[in-house]
Amino acid sequence: MSAVPQQELPRPGGFPEIRYKRYVPKIGPSGLALFSGITLMCTLGLYRTGQGNLERRELEREKVWSRIHLIPLLQAEADRDTYRREAAANEREAEVMKNVKGWKAGESVYNSKRYTPQTFVVVP
Amino acid sequence: MSTFREASHITTGKFVDPTPAPAEAAHPEVGTTSAPLKSAAFFIGSYCKDYNEDFMLCKDENNDPAHCLKEGRKVTRCAMDMITKLRENCEKEWEAHYKCLEKHNQEYYACRKPERTFNECVFSKLKLEKVIPGASNTPIHLRENTIYN
Repeated sequence: MSAVPQQELPRPGGFPEIRYKRYVPKIGPSGLALFSGITLMCTLGLYRTGQGNLERRELEREKVWSRIHLIPLLQAEADRDTYRREAAANEREAEVMKNVKGWKAGESVYNSKRYTPQTFVVVP
Repeated sequence: MSTFREASHITTGKFVDPTPAPAEAAHPEVGTTSAPLKSAAFFIGSYCKDYNEDFMLCKDENNDPAHCLKEGRKVTRCAMDMITKLRENCEKEWEAHYKCLEKHNQEYYACRKPERTFNECVFSKLKLEKVIPGASNTPIHLRENTIYN
């Protein structure tokens, strides 16, 4: 047993380096650039949305005020029409119920002086 | 009576009352459609402010249609007066604006250009200005750079 046992050793000069890294060429902007770009885009978009919301509120106010200015005119017209229709309906009712003693045409069914639109309209 | 039920078994078709108006409620109507009215709303509002407020106070007093006929006539007369004046002075500009409104779903923001010429015309000839009450900083109809346009 004189011989020294031969241990397994690397080849002379050593093994070549193991290529475990991905050798993919670098393309496109860096992560930092992407992240900051997207953040900027979102910020600007949100800002514009906010400005748009404020603007929409003003547009809504403008619309509401235009209607407020027109309400008296439209209401006056509608009132005249309602008055005309109610007067005509009362006249018809009086004609139909002329034989009933003590009947008041167009009398409110409510025990109050407050105006209530007629529930039933007498149609010829 | 929260639901509306059509009395289809009683009446057939729409009933239009042909009875003429009694003397106390007879008055010619403005007969203007929605777009010209919307276009002129702010001018009618500022020109007829007193009559309109009087009428609304009267309505607040009593909701009966018979109660405010006199005030209502004044409101209608004033609006007719305003419409006549607009037609005499700024008919072309007014027409351009309300036709634009008709075309754009009656949105003010879509028709700022004709609106501006119309407002300028009304201001120079009738001394009436469009004022939106309670507007903070520049009123929306005078802004140049808007998101909605």
